[in-house]
This record gives sequence, structure tokens and C-alpha cells, in this order.
Amino acid sequence: MPVRLELRGVSKTYRNGGQPTEVLHDISLSAVPGTVTALLGRSGCGKTTLLHLAGAMDFPTAGDVLIDGRVTSTLSDAELTTLRRTRVGFVFQFFQLLPTLTALENVELPLLLARAPNTTGKARDRLRWVGLEEKAASLPYQLSGGQMQRVAIARALVHSPDILIADEPTGNLDTASGDQVLALLREAATRFGATVLLATHSAEAAAIAGVRVSLRDGRVQSIEAS
Amino acid sequence: MKLLRSLILRPLRRDLPRTILTVLAVALGVAVVVAIDLAGDAATGSFRSSMETLAGKTDLEILANGSIDESWIGVLDALPLNATFSPVIEAQGLLPGAGNIPIYGLDLIHAAGHHGPQTQPAGELPPVGMTKALANRLHMRAPDILTVSIGGHDRQFQVGDIVDAGTAEFLVFDIADAQQSLARYGKLDRIDVTVGAGEDFARVEKAVRAALPPAYFVEKPGLRNEENQRMLRAFRWNLRVLGYISLVVGAFLIYNTISVSVVRRRSEIGILRAVGASRGAVLALFLVEALLLGVVGSVLGVLLGRLLAAGVVGLIAETVNALYTSSRPTPVELTASEVWSGILTGAAVAFVSALKPAREAMQVAPTEAMSRGAHEHRARLRWRRSLAWSALFAVAAAGASQAPPWGGYPVGGYVAALFAIAATAMASPAVVLAVDRATRTVTRRRAESLLAGRSLTSSLARTSVVVAALATAIAMMASVGIMVASFRETVALWLDVQLRADFYVRPAIRSGAGQYPPLPEGIAASLAGVSGVAAVDDFRGIEFHYQGERATLGAGNLEIVRRYGRLRFLAGEDRDAILRSLPDRDRAVVSEPFAIKHGVHAGDRLTVPIGDHTVTLTVAGIYYDYSSSQGYVILDRSTMLKYLPGLAATNAAIYLAPGADAGQVLREMQLRTAGKGVAIAHNSELRRASIEIFDRTFAITWALEAVAILVAMLGAANSLLALVLDRRRELGLLRFLGASAGQVRGMILTEAAFLGLLASILGVALGLALSLLLIFVVNKQSFGWTIQFHPPGGLLAGAVLLVWIVTVLAGLYPARVASRMNPIEVIQEE
Repeated sequence: MPVRLELRGVSKTYRNGGQPTEVLHDISLSAVPGTVTALLGRSGCGKTTLLHLAGAMDFPTAGDVLIDGRVTSTLSDAELTTLRRTRVGFVFQFFQLLPTLTALENVELPLLLARAPNTTGKARDRLRWVGLEEKAASLPYQLSGGQMQRVAIARALVHSPDILIADEPTGNLDTASGDQVLALLREAATRFGATVLLATHSAEAAAIAGVRVSLRDGRVQSIEAS
Repeated sequence: MKLLRSLILRPLRRDLPRTILTVLAVALGVAVVVAIDLAGDAATGSFRSSMETLAGKTDLEILANGSIDESWIGVLDALPLNATFSPVIEAQGLLPGAGNIPIYGLDLIHAAGHHGPQTQPAGELPPVGMTKALANRLHMRAPDILTVSIGGHDRQFQVGDIVDAGTAEFLVFDIADAQQSLARYGKLDRIDVTVGAGEDFARVEKAVRAALPPAYFVEKPGLRNEENQRMLRAFRWNLRVLGYISLVVGAFLIYNTISVSVVRRRSEIGILRAVGASRGAVLALFLVEALLLGVVGSVLGVLLGRLLAAGVVGLIAETVNALYTSSRPTPVELTASEVWSGILTGAAVAFVSALKPAREAMQVAPTEAMSRGAHEHRARLRWRRSLAWSALFAVAAAGASQAPPWGGYPVGGYVAALFAIAATAMASPAVVLAVDRATRTVTRRRAESLLAGRSLTSSLARTSVVVAALATAIAMMASVGIMVASFRETVALWLDVQLRADFYVRPAIRSGAGQYPPLPEGIAASLAGVSGVAAVDDFRGIEFHYQGERATLGAGNLEIVRRYGRLRFLAGEDRDAILRSLPDRDRAVVSEPFAIKHGVHAGDRLTVPIGDHTVTLTVAGIYYDYSSSQGYVILDRSTMLKYLPGLAATNAAIYLAPGADAGQVLREMQLRTAGKGVAIAHNSELRRASIEIFDRTFAITWALEAVAILVAMLGAANSLLALVLDRRRELGLLRFLGASAGQVRGMILTEAAFLGLLASILGVALGLALSLLLIFVVNKQSFGWTIQFHPPGGLLAGAVLLVWIVTVLAGLYPARVASRMNPIEVIQEE
């Protein structure tokens, strides 16, 4: 199976008041379609930074991130926008739904931004898939945490991205809601063939992953495949 | 102090662009108010005070409507009083290369022994004194020869004394030379009385009054200045009120800034209260923030106002000269009281605007850390209550508009305008929600418009304030635009009716309002003899004093007016019967502004001093007139000449016979008047000139409105910037979801466009209401004009479009800030 997402010797250094701080050091890993890769490690070990690099929201200070063989740091701003609109979906720990939009509109938003046709129909399909069709007209504050995260997953998958990036998606949920969310993420990989990259603390979340990458102080400590 | 630094000063510094925008808005508002005051003072500052310095101290002035017979000087001199009586003549002369110059005829020979300039005749030419400023401009010195055109004739004088009178420019003749040059033998304009040392002032006043005809005015000096000020009162008040518009718009912005400040720091306030800060301390903190913004803005505003004043003084002076009285602008002076009043005004506006949000801050409970969302949610729930308030204010506005003038001011009209603005501000949340709902199906189709619409409705409290501020500015522009256009159209229609003569003849010398230089003797008779001329109506005008105000007493040949003219009387009055009733009788017609100013109705009797006589005139009718807000009292020439025999004609209207060749008649008239200092204007020229004066008069109102719009734009930019900063995380998220930087920019610009659209809807509605107030209440009560309502559709549409475009432009900077945010940094802010 072709490698969809690849990190080659990636390092990331931030300058904090002139003082360089290395957040990631020489990371190399790859992910193929239809798999879930979990990034494990304590807070501050570099998981979120790695996710941002993988989603082409940020660029490494050394090494390359490749999506379908193209180095993200060489892409123009317009190409990066197109990449995010068509190939990448994000799920966040705090859901990040827009409070002024309904659940349906939140899901529809990426399609509207991409000027896609039939946005409402597609958004409704995805909302049905996460089991929240009846909540289409609800505003985020009218939903539970689990429901909000399911809406966020529907939003991340509404444009059928090849890569789904999820940052602590169950970190703010109770166990039952967390399980529902994890089931959806696994299904995103198995049913839609997405390459899922998941940062988590939780053992349950790690359990759904085919590949588990442990990070410590910005370095890969181990890579396990199940 | 520490609290102030951490809770107020630091955030102000952190949000520097927003702080600067607010300070600028206050500065512009204050600048306009200061500029209008300073320029108004300078533009109406007469040079008369310099003249007084020159002629020495005057204790009393003797004035008359018409002229004073010189023989009264002898009567006064014979009184057993220790007092000096100095005759004065005032006129205008035309100097080649210098234009119109005031001329004073004084008894120089008599005065030389007491005070004033000493003029020594040199050679055979009569002497002339001139001010240093004029001498410098003309590069003249004694004993150069000066040619002056007076009363249609060129006369030569020899320059004698050159006196220092500051920047004032005028000429001083001996009274005999002035009378001769002006053909006003034995006539005076004024007698100045100086009470001698040790003499009892009251005794002199009493004796002088007893000696003179009751028709003469014996007044303390300054009567004219007082009259000037009174005459200009309405004009300056209305200008000042226009100036305050920018400040009102600025008040909305202060309110907005402090509201944002309170909402953002709600949790900090909660903590402060929890650790023991009193409610009063919290209130004081936010009021101090407002005062800081107000004072810094005002100081800047005063300085800016001083600069602006220099720019507008010319405009105001032109209007004053064209419509009210002759005066020359004096240099703009920024006095300490002006500085303080500017700063206090700005600070007071800031303080009052901040009261409500600061009180809200005070109400925050120690345990409360309410989010913006909750605050905005409350605002959404309150829209019905706001709408009810709006209705209440609208009713109050309608009520106030019915009030009669108060002390001569249209106070009810101004109060009604304020109520109307309040009604609009209160209706703003409902309109924002209604427009959002009505446009949802359209806006939903694009991410930018969907998000923009939702963002505005979700921050309803803030959006409403900005919309209200913008709407107020647009309404002011629209209402003044409608008023001016209606007025212009009314004047144009009136000119069509009023100016029926084919030619108008007047002295070539440019005369300001209140000045009536005479036509050379015999001109009217000479022109009546031109072949093709059917009739000549020679008009005599004098400025007269009536009930502490000034107006024009005029006389024409009313039989000619009846036959050829189209004087329009108020509804129900029979024009022919009225005009027929005037000749040879003490009857008059008065203009509408005069009637309104003095509460005069047809059939009333006016007691008017004319020359030596006190005449009781019966008002035969009231006619429409738009040429003077001071008003006219018009007699038949037979009546005027009965009381002021020998009064020279001041202009003439020429009516042509049917089929006469206008070009031929004009050539013949020019031939007959050649070298006599007479200007002949065709009907169309006069009409054009009148409209030009009208347009110049209102030039300053446009300038004032531009500033109000600019302040509102600053407000729009300020508010959009606040929205951008508050929604950083959402904007960052959009980039994660695939929005391009252009789309984020587009979203903010769409919000700006929404704001502009909402403000336009409310602004035009408010503008229409305010224009009705301006036309039917403020103008009617201030100036006495009846203006017909003629809203200029095209102009309004253009203006609203312009404001809308500028509002979108105001979104450029916030849009730039939004599109340049680092999405990773802002998404992680929690």
C-alpha cells in the first residue's frame, strides 16, 4: 500500500525570547491509508506540534513532511489551502465548533469554504453517519460534550479527507462518549480509507490504533504495530 | 493607582490601534466643536473695535433709521452739558486694486483738538487718513494721491495720516468731504457722544434724549455688536449644533470602547471584587478609563480645532457677509477659556457615555466571571425591550417637535432630534436581527457571508452601538442633504417667481448684507427713457432697528410691482388688493421671516421710527421671501419719501416692453450709465449669483458632515477590530478548516458591508425624520423660512453608497489583522 503521510528526520525548534527550544527531534515515521496511528506521550512531549506539521499547518525547521510524496514546505499558500480543503481534516480536544452556527452549519462549513456543490446534503449525510441528524438545527451550547465532538468529527470528514488528524479527541469526554468517538475514528479509517493520526493520553484511544508511536521530550521512543 | 495601571492602562497599551482609533474619534469630535466656535468668533469679529480705538472713547451713540439731520449737532452742542458730539458717516468706497473698503467720515478738524487722527490738508486735494494695514497693502504713504470711487464717481484725495489699527483696513475722510462725495449733504449716520470729565452720565443721557426726536435711538456703544450677535445667534447656534453631531457619534464610540473593555475584563472584575474591591472602585476604574480617553482626545482635538478654524473662518465670514452683516474676519484666537471648554466638553461626553457600561461593571458579582457570549445572549433577549423604548422615544420626539421656540431657539426641535437618535439607537438590535433573518437564505450560500452575519448577530450589543453610531452620521448627512436640497429647490422656484424684471441695476460697488450704497442720482429716470423699457421700479433700502433686531426697510414702486412682478403672499391673502392699498398710506407688507421673528400678522400695527418720525404702519400682508432671515418691511416709495425726503434709490428693476430687443436695450442702458459706477445684471445672472451664494453658504455644512462620517468610520474600524480580536480563536479555526487568508479577509469585509447596510437602512429612516425636523421645526423657528420638502433621491442614493463603500474600506485594517493571525497560536489559546 502506498505511503500517504511521511515524516523524514523532522525537527522543530521554537525561539522563546531568543532562546531556542527544540520541541521535536529527528522524527521519522509514515502512515498508509486505512490505518490509525496513535501518538502517545505526556503533555508537552510534542504530540500537538507533530500533528500540526502532519496537517501542513506548520513546517519543520529540519527534515521534510510529505503528503503523497509532496514536501509540504515547498507548497504555495494557495496549494496549502487546497490541501486543507481536500485532503486533511482536523478534530480538536475542545471540539472548536463555531458557537454561532448550528450543528449542520458547522459540518457544512468546510464545504462552503471550498465552494463545493450540494453542501447541505453532504453535511446532512455526515451528521447522519455520526448519529446526530436530529440535532442538525441545534446550536453547540445545546449539545453535550460527546455530541459536540461527534459533530466535530462529521465536520472533519465532510469533505472526505485522506488524512484525519485528531488531537486528544476524547480528552474532554466521559467514557461512553469517548468510546463513541473512538468508534467513529476507527470507522473513518476502515470505511472511508482515511489515514488517521491520533494524539492521545488514553489507553482506550491507543487501543484502536494499528500503530502506536511513543514520544518523549520530542523524540520517538518506540513504534509498535499491532 | 496600581489597579489603574494593570486593569486600565496596560490593556489600553496592549490594544494600541483601538485606543488610537477611539482617541482620534474624540479628537475629531472636539476639534469640530472648537473649530466652529473659534471660526465663528473670528468671522463675526467686526473691525469696529479698532475704529473705536481710533476715534476715542464713546459713551453714547445716536442712531436713526434712515439718517440724522446734521442740524441736530448744533442743537446738541447748545445744551449746557460737558459733552462732545461727533458726527459720523459710514460708507463703502471702491479702490482700484484693493476692492471695497469701508469709509468713515469724521469731523476731523473738530476732533483734532481732542483725540483721534490729525489730518493735515496738503495741496489742493482733500485729505484722507488710512490704516497702516491698508497703506502697506497699497504701498502708499503721505502725501501720495489716492483715487476712490464713491457714489459712482472717482474722486482723488491726498494721503495724510496713516494710523495703526491692527489688521483693520479703512479710510477716514473729513465729514464734509464724505458728505460731498456721497451727495449726502446735511445728513449723518451717527452721532458719537463723549461725556466730559466730572459730568454726570445720566444727566447727559436724559438731556440728549429730551432734545432729540423720539424716533432717534440713544444707545450705549455696542448696540450694533449686540444686534450683530443676536442676528447671528440662530446661524451660529445651528452651526454649533451641526458641530456637535461628530461629538454625538464620538459618544457612541466611547460607549462601545468602554463596553468592550468591561465585557473583556468581566472575570478580572469578578476576581477584584472577590479580593475586596468595592463597587465604587470598579465604577471609578472604568470612568477613569473613559476620562483618560476623553481628555487625551480633547487635548488633541483642541489643537486640531485651532488648525481647522483657520481653514473654515473664510467660509463662515463669506456667509456672514452675504447674508447678515458686513464684517471682516479677525485672526483666530485660541483663548484659555476655549481650551478648557473644549477639554471639558470632550471629557464630559466621554464620562457620560461611559456611565452605563461602567455601572454594568459595578454590578458584576464577586463570583461571576461571565463570558462575552452570556453578555451578548442577554442583549439578544433584551431586543424587545429596546424596541419598546425606541417606540417611546419616537413618541417623545414627535411631542417635542410640536413645542414652540424657547427664548428664540428651536429647543424643541433639537430635543426632538436627540429623541429621534435615541429611538434609532434603541431600534438598532431589532433591525440587526430582522435583517439577519431576512437575508439568511442568501447569506447562507457562502461561508464568508454566513459567518459575517452570525458574527454580527452574536455580538448584538456591540453591533447595535456601531450601527447606531454609523446610522446617526448617515442620518445627519441625509437630513442636512434633504434640507439643503429642499431649501435650494424652494429658493430656485421662488427666484423664478420673484425675479420677474429683465434687468437689475445696482451700484457697482460690492455691498454686503445690510449695506445699501446709493445709485447715482437720476439713473432711474435716465433708464426709464431707454427705448424698449416699459417700467423702472427704483428701490430704496435702509437698514433699520426694530425691537433690538435689525431688518431692512425698503420702498419700491408697488404699482409697478403689482403690474409686472409676482410677489407671492401667504395663502389666503389677495395680492392685488394688498399692493393697491399701499401707495400714499402708512401701510406695509412684511416678509415671512420678519413676521415670524416678531410675531407679526396681517392687520397688526408696527411702530417704526423712520428718520425724525415715529410711524405706525399697518401690515397689509405677509409675503414669501428667502433673501434675508432678518426680514423686510416694504412700503410704497411715496410713503418712504414722505418721511425720508431725498433718500436715494439703491437699486432698480427694469421691465422691458413686449417684443423689445433685450440686447439692444442693454447696450443703450450701458451707454447711459457708462462711468457712473453702475452694474447691470440680466435676470439669469442674478438668479445664478443667488444660487451661488446659497451653495457657498452651505459649503461648511458639508465639511462638518464629512467629519461626522469620518468619526463614524473610525468607529466602524474600531468595532470590527474588537470583533476580530475577540474571535481570534474562531478565525484561526477557519484556517484549519480550509479557509484561505483571502476568505478570512473577505469575511471581515463582508461584516463591514453588513454594518454599512444596516446603518444605511436605519440612517436613511432617521435622516428622513430629522430632515422633517430641520425643515419644519428648526429652520422655521430659527430663520422663519417656509421650505418645501424636495428630497434629492439621486444625491441621497449616491451619498449612502459612498458611506457604504467607506465603511467597507474601514474594514480593511481589521481584515488585514484577521488574515495575518497565526492559526496555531490562536487555536491554542484557551
